[in-house]
Amino acid sequence: MLNVPVERHRLANGLRVTLSVDSTSPIVGVNLWYAVGSRNERPGRTGFAHLFEHMMFQGSANVPKNRHFELIEGAGGSLNASTWFDRTNYYDTVPSHHLELALWLESDRMGWMLPAMTPEKLHNQQEVVKNERKERYDNQPYGDWDERIQALVFPPSHPYHHPVIGSMEDIGAATLEDVAEFSRTFYVPNNAVLTLAGDLEPERALGLVERYFGEIPAGSPVPALPGLLDIPPVIGTTLREEVVDDVPLPRVYLGARVPSFTSDRFHIAQVAATVLGGGKASRLYRSLVREKAVAKDVLAYVFPLEVSASLLLLWVTGYPGEDPGTLERVLLEEVEGMASVDQEELDRAVAMTETQLLREIQQVGERADLLSMFDQTFDDPGRLNSELERVRSVTRSQVEGFASELLGPDNRAILTYVPGGAA
Amino acid sequence: MSPPPRPSLDRSEAPAPGSVRPFEFPPVVSSSLPNGIGLRVALMRRLPLVTVSVVLDAGEALLPDSLGGLAVLSGQALEGGSRRMSGPELAEALEGIGTGLSVHTGWDSTTVSLTCLAERMEEAVALLAEDLLQPAFPPGEVDRFKNQRLAAIRQRRMDPGSLADDAAAHLFFSDDVPYHRPLAGTTESVKGMGPEEVRAFAGGHYRPLGAGLVVVGDVEVSEVEALARSYFGDWDGAPEAAGGFQAGPRFRERRILVVDRPGSVQSEIRIGQVGAPRSTPHYFPLQVFNTVLGGAFTSRLMLNLREEQGFTYGVRSRFSFRRSAGPFSVSTAVATEVTAPAVSHALAEVEGLLEDGPTQREVDRARDFIAGVFPLHLETTGQVASRISELLVYGLPDDYFSTYRDRIRSVSSQDILAAGREVLRAREMVVVVVGEAEAVRGPLEDLGVAPVDVLSPDDLASGSVEAVAPS
Repeated sequence: MLNVPVERHRLANGLRVTLSVDSTSPIVGVNLWYAVGSRNERPGRTGFAHLFEHMMFQGSANVPKNRHFELIEGAGGSLNASTWFDRTNYYDTVPSHHLELALWLESDRMGWMLPAMTPEKLHNQQEVVKNERKERYDNQPYGDWDERIQALVFPPSHPYHHPVIGSMEDIGAATLEDVAEFSRTFYVPNNAVLTLAGDLEPERALGLVERYFGEIPAGSPVPALPGLLDIPPVIGTTLREEVVDDVPLPRVYLGARVPSFTSDRFHIAQVAATVLGGGKASRLYRSLVREKAVAKDVLAYVFPLEVSASLLLLWVTGYPGEDPGTLERVLLEEVEGMASVDQEELDRAVAMTETQLLREIQQVGERADLLSMFDQTFDDPGRLNSELERVRSVTRSQVEGFASELLGPDNRAILTYVPGGAA
Repeated sequence: MSPPPRPSLDRSEAPAPGSVRPFEFPPVVSSSLPNGIGLRVALMRRLPLVTVSVVLDAGEALLPDSLGGLAVLSGQALEGGSRRMSGPELAEALEGIGTGLSVHTGWDSTTVSLTCLAERMEEAVALLAEDLLQPAFPPGEVDRFKNQRLAAIRQRRMDPGSLADDAAAHLFFSDDVPYHRPLAGTTESVKGMGPEEVRAFAGGHYRPLGAGLVVVGDVEVSEVEALARSYFGDWDGAPEAAGGFQAGPRFRERRILVVDRPGSVQSEIRIGQVGAPRSTPHYFPLQVFNTVLGGAFTSRLMLNLREEQGFTYGVRSRFSFRRSAGPFSVSTAVATEVTAPAVSHALAEVEGLLEDGPTQREVDRARDFIAGVFPLHLETTGQVASRISELLVYGLPDDYFSTYRDRIRSVSSQDILAAGREVLRAREMVVVVVGEAEAVRGPLEDLGVAPVDVLSPDDLASGSVEAVAPS
C-alpha cells in the first residue's frame, strides 16, 4: 500500500500547506496550485488564465524580469507552470539547500507581482502566447481537436466549452487592468495550496513558509464560476462534426460526459477507459489495431475535471485511404461491447494503474503535484495514499452499469478528420 | 481596488542557500556472463520498483539507406510474441503483472526494457527473455508493423516540426552518412521489408556478446545475478560486426533551404551542422557552451527570440552525441512574418558566442545549472537505467557519473570557447525553414547572408535534392 508521508497545515491567511518528507535524494519539489483556470474566464477573455500564468514569470516587486529563471537555473533547479481547466500550477524542483530561494520567489509573485507589470511585458507575452497557439493548434495537423471536442461535449454556457489556450482575438485583447483584477481575485493565499515534497525538515520548512507567505493578506472569497454549471449527465444525443483538413490520416474522436473527478464514480470511468484503451491487451488495441488492422493507433483517457462532469476521450487513427465510417463503426462496436467485461480485464487495469502510480511518485516534483491536486480538489492531500483502493474496489457490474448509462448513443460527440484540403 | 500590501519582511535580497547535502550516483555493480553479456546492477530503494533493460548493439547506424528503418521495425515487431506465446498472450501476461515492454531504437542501440513491482521481477524477466531470445515475428504481425511505420512516416511529413527535423538531418549530412535519413527510414526503404529481413536483423544483432543487462531498483545483487544466469545464460552468439564511419557535411558553405509547406502560419526553423561524437574530448565544454547558447530558459537564444522579441514560444539548441558526430541544431517555430528576422537574430547569437565567448557570469550559471540538475534527472529507476545503458553503449567507465559533476564544474570559459570554435563553423551553418515559401523567400534573400533555395517535401522524401547540388 502507498504510504507517502503527509503533514498538513493551514496558515492564518488560508494558505494550505502540505509537507511530505523523503530524503532519498537531496532535492525538494515546491508546488503551488491556484484554484483558477480556464473555467474562471469570462466571455471576451478566453485564454486569460494561461496568459496570466506567463505574466507570473515577468517579475515581481523584488524580482526583475527573467530573474526567477536565472536564480532557479543557477541554483541547479528546474521550474515551469501549466494552466488547465480547473487550476494553474507552478513548480520548482531544486537542490534541497535552495528551498528558501524557491519560497522567496513564489511568495514574492503571489503577494507583490503587480508592481512589476508593464505594458511592454504584457505585449511581449501576448506575442509569445499567440505563437504558442500557432505552434500547438494552428500549424499542427488535428491541432484544434480539443477545441472542437470541448465545444461538442459542453454547451456554450458551460465554462469547459472553450479551450485553455483561448482565441487569438481574446489573447490580444487582454489589458493590464485585467492582469491586476485577476491577481487580486484569484492569486490570493486562500485560493492556493502549497506542497513541499522531498528532502526537508518539517519544522524548519514550515517556519520558512510562514515567514515568506504568512504576511500575504487573505483575499475575498473567490467569485462563483461563470456560466451555467447545472448540465445533464449526458449530452442528450449523438453529435457529429466532420472536418476535411490537411491531415495525414483519417482520425475519429469520441467524447462523452462522465462523472466528475469529485464524484465517487470517477474511478469507474477510469477503469473502463483502461479496459478499453490502456495498453496492448486492451480491447481497442487488440481489436482495431491488431486483429482488424484498421487502426494505426488508439487512445482512451479520462480527464480529471472537477465541475459538473468530466470528459472521456477515445480516438482511433486509421491508415491512409481508410473509410472514416468504418473506423467509427468498429470503434462503436467496442464501446457497445463494454456491456460485458471480465474480471481479468479489471485485474489488469488495476495492476497497470498501480505500477503507473508508483512510477509517478518516484519524482518529488510529481509527488508534490499529486498531493496538491488532492488537496485542492478534496481538501485532503493524504487521499493519494488511498487512491489505489478506490481503483481496486471497482467491480464488473459497476463498469457494465457505467457503460449502459454513459457510453450509449445519447452521450456521444463524434469528431472525424478526413484527409483533404490543400494537400 | 486597494494597492498591493507592503511587505514588512525585507524581501529585497534573494535568501542565501543552506548547506549542501551530498548526492551520490547509485553505485553500479558490474559482472558478466560467460556468453559475454555485461550485467550492471544499481540499487535504489525509494519504492518497491525495478527497471530491467537489455541493451543491444542493434542501432540504425548499422544499416545502409536501402534498409533504413529495419532496426526500428524489428524492435517494434517484438510485440508479435515468441514461439510459445502469441502477441496478445504476451501482452496479457505482461499487463497482468502491471507492466509492458518498451522498445527504443536509436542510431547506436536498441533497448528493450520494462518497469514493474520488484516482487514481480522474475515473472517479468522470464517474459522479456522469452520474447527477445525466441521471437516469432509472425508474417501478419510484421506486415502490420510495417504499415504502422509507413503511416507514421506519412504523419512525420505533414507535421511541420518533424518535417523540419528530417529535412535538417538530410541537409546537414552528406548522403554517405546514415544520419542524413530519418531514423525510422523512408517509404522507399520500409515498404519492401518483411519477416525475412526482420528475422535476419534480429538474428544478426540480438546477441549477448557486447550486450548489456541493466537492472535498477529495489532488488538484491545476488538475486539479479541468479536471474541473469537462468534466463540469459543459454543465449549465445556475437553480433555481426560493423565498421564505423566519418560523419561529413553536405555543404561547406552557409546555405538557406526553404521546404515549402503552403498554408503554414508559422515557420519551423533549424540552424545547424555536423557536431561532435560522444567520444569527443570536448564533451563537457560543449555541454556548457550549449547551455549558454540555447540549452536553458535563461540562454541567449531564449532571452533574445522569446523574451525580447516575442518571435516564438520557445527556442533551444542541442548537440546530439552519437558514436559518430551527430548534429548540432538550433530549433524554433516562429510566425511566418518574422521568419527572416528570427533567422538573423539566431545566427547572430551563434556567431556572437563563437566570436567573444561566454561571460564569466554565464559560465558560472551554466555550470551550476548542469551540475545542479544532474540529480533531478536521476530520481527514477528508469532514468538511472538509461544513464547506465549509456555507459555500455559508449564504452564509458563505471564510475563515469560519479565524476560527472566535478568535470562540469572544472570547465573554464577558455575551454568553452576553444571547444565551440573547434567543433562549430558559423560560416558553414545550414539554415532550414519549413513554411510558406512564397512569403519567406524574399525576406530571407534580403538578409544577404546566404543563397536561398526552395525545395518541396517530395524532393526530400525521394532523397533527391537536385535543386541544391552539393558545393
